[in-house]
Amino acid sequence: MPKPFNELRERLLRAGIAPRHVRRYLTELADHLADLRAEEERADRSRAEAESAAFIRLGSADDLAKAMIEQRQFQSWSARAPWAVFGLAPLLILSAAWFIALLILWSGWQIFLPGADTPFGAARVDSFGNLYFQLGKAIYLNAPFLIGWGIGLIAARQRLNAVWPMAGLVLTAWMAGTGQVQASRSAVPGGLGHIRMDFTLGPSVHGIPGGLFNALIIFSLTALPYLIWRLLKALSRFAQSTVSTSVE
Amino acid sequence: MAARETNPNFMNGVPELLILRLLQKEEMYGYEIVQAIRSRTDAVIAIGEGVVYPVLHGLEQDGALKSRRKIVNGRSRIYYSRTPAGSRRLADLSETWSNLAAAIQDVLTGGQYAKAFQ
Repeated sequence: MPKPFNELRERLLRAGIAPRHVRRYLTELADHLADLRAEEERADRSRAEAESAAFIRLGSADDLAKAMIEQRQFQSWSARAPWAVFGLAPLLILSAAWFIALLILWSGWQIFLPGADTPFGAARVDSFGNLYFQLGKAIYLNAPFLIGWGIGLIAARQRLNAVWPMAGLVLTAWMAGTGQVQASRSAVPGGLGHIRMDFTLGPSVHGIPGGLFNALIIFSLTALPYLIWRLLKALSRFAQSTVSTSVE
Repeated sequence: MAARETNPNFMNGVPELLILRLLQKEEMYGYEIVQAIRSRTDAVIAIGEGVVYPVLHGLEQDGALKSRRKIVNGRSRIYYSRTPAGSRRLADLSETWSNLAAAIQDVLTGGQYAKAFQ
């Protein structure tokens, strides 16, 4: 893609335009530019002249960006309602994932360990039962990381200010770090056991409350790729500005 | 990139009107639409050609246009066509524009509305 379109893409994304709209706009602009160039070449212009004339006819970068930014319906949800995308949605998604994980744990307990006081002993069940419990465990443990990386991906794709994504990462890590699953058998003989979630800081690990320690680990691992991306982007911008300054 | 001179702000809404009118009979892709506007208005209406796409996308999002990808001469192009909602929108816009144009023309030629400016 020509350099002017790269700059246009960055401007549109930073202005909050949804990536899919930006992608389509730039694809159509590139096609249009090719048509204009061909038309100018048919008018006996050299390739360089045709290229230059085609860009002028297409419109200035300012006009092209302004025309798109003025259409408010192309704004992404993360630009329109960052509190919902980075504050509310991750917590809801994590709650849903954990609900599914706990449902698997509870149903596995009833199916594979009907007489046991606790479902936390999957080693005692057959291979299919073990697989069933491991599925629930995988959902429970991996959901916070997948959600955290998803937050970073959305923020990076849309060139967002770091405040809301970092807030989302902190909230997700806090919820994931302090969440604990408790299971207890009903006092009624043959009654169903029940499972609940507690959110607690728990006992200390290395002098730090366990929940906080877990949250810090989760936050570090989920924020790291996003922070590295931001660092690389900043270095690339710095390198470009250094090159343009030395050219001037 | 040098800037192309464009028409002033009172052109707002005009590209939308022209696009809906042009797509009355046949589907077209962006470059075709711009060339048709240019030729049918004798280049009086000058817009940066690329700014037609946000208008097209906006109309599509509003349900006034629909698009489909088509391979023509080995190139993938997005063709736009008008929907029934687009036809209704064109009728509304045409009426508004005709009334506005008639009123302005009247002022310029000293007719009924011109009295208010005297």
